[in-house]
Amino acid sequence: MSRREEIIAKAKALPQMPSVVQRIMAYLGKQDADVNELAKLIEYDPGLTVNVLRMANSALFGGCGQIATVRDALFRLGMKRVYQMVIATGIAPRAKGAVKGYGLAPGDLLRHSVAVATGAERLAQALALQAPPHTFTAGLLSNIGKTVLGEFLAVDAAPIMERAAQDTISFEQAERRYLGIDHAELGALLLEHWSLPPAIVLCVRWRLDPCSAPVHDLGLDLIHLGHVMATMSGIGGGEDGLFYGVCQESIERLEATPEAMAAAMEMLLGDLAELEPIFLQL
Amino acid sequence: MNGRLIVGISDMKISQRPEDVLVTHSLGSCLGLAAYDPLARVGGLIHCLLPKASSAGVANPYMYVNVGVPAMIRQLVALGASKAHLAFKAAGCSRMIHIANQFDTGAQNLAMLEALFAKNNVALAAKDVGGSIPRTVALRMDTGTFVIRSQGKEWQI
Repeated sequence: MSRREEIIAKAKALPQMPSVVQRIMAYLGKQDADVNELAKLIEYDPGLTVNVLRMANSALFGGCGQIATVRDALFRLGMKRVYQMVIATGIAPRAKGAVKGYGLAPGDLLRHSVAVATGAERLAQALALQAPPHTFTAGLLSNIGKTVLGEFLAVDAAPIMERAAQDTISFEQAERRYLGIDHAELGALLLEHWSLPPAIVLCVRWRLDPCSAPVHDLGLDLIHLGHVMATMSGIGGGEDGLFYGVCQESIERLEATPEAMAAAMEMLLGDLAELEPIFLQL
Repeated sequence: MNGRLIVGISDMKISQRPEDVLVTHSLGSCLGLAAYDPLARVGGLIHCLLPKASSAGVANPYMYVNVGVPAMIRQLVALGASKAHLAFKAAGCSRMIHIANQFDTGAQNLAMLEALFAKNNVALAAKDVGGSIPRTVALRMDTGTFVIRSQGKEWQI
């Protein structure tokens, strides 16, 4: 078995998402899924309800403190938006621990992931674009492969980093040379294995290199630039630092300007201060 | 007791206590600028996210090089530092691979600092900037030593 195959096999053996999240995902896969039934399923879990309401009421999601029930959230923000929040609450706890091998203290990786997600949303606003509903969740899940490699498989990133610096290549290229797989591909394989929507899997798979993606996707381009902004800002950054590429084609497709990026980076810090405590306590 | 004062992103701290160490973590393209007056034993550390405030009267001046750095200097002078004795050391301003110049915030942060200093006839005593490494920096208030840590290594400038 190659190192790559061994890593994939071990990742797929990891426990799945909490059962309430799985139930909700399965329910939403039905043709006749209905808002009232979905509200009941969420309300069945008090912790999930509290977290969905806190998220829905944040400045980023637009509820602004006026959403009092899950039904309110579903009607005012839409079923897809709430569904994304449910997935987020199911997966975020996996990203909040330390990732020793990658030089990440507790909370760092989650902070970075929240910054990718909010950066993508804020950039869409700054460019007067409508971010697709999967954008936020895809951003939040974007580092799941790093959690698996650095925490569960105890991969040491130091020699990967050395290789990146020595060969002047990106960190994920160095991961591929050293491990046979990079954390973006591993994360996407895992999310696919957990039956997450293909749009989310696509963003996680190609967020570091959308120039190589098989298709163009607005959410993916936004997530890529969310990752660029979070990485440049050093939010929850590890030893891999800024050893990542920037896809100019994504910038051009979005018609992103330096001013819009700066505006999104300004907003990002406020969002992070509001959302981080919600995710850290999940 | 050794007091570690953490300077967050878009934040600034100053100190007169020799037992303090001002620390800022994980500088990416942000600018970390330390200032220390060895005679007055006053120092400060700022972590600026962006080069330039888009308008006057911003809520948080420390987010920007063009207004944050002068604000830090004013506070240091108010605490007894002299502009002639302040030593400035810069770190950070890293860049992502293949980033186009107009999106290279790190280079723009450094350029803004250098323009600001040139205009005010201030010299930068030392800098450790650029590349793609992350940097954590610390200013020791007892000696004015400026330490940089990255990827398991540590050095002074």
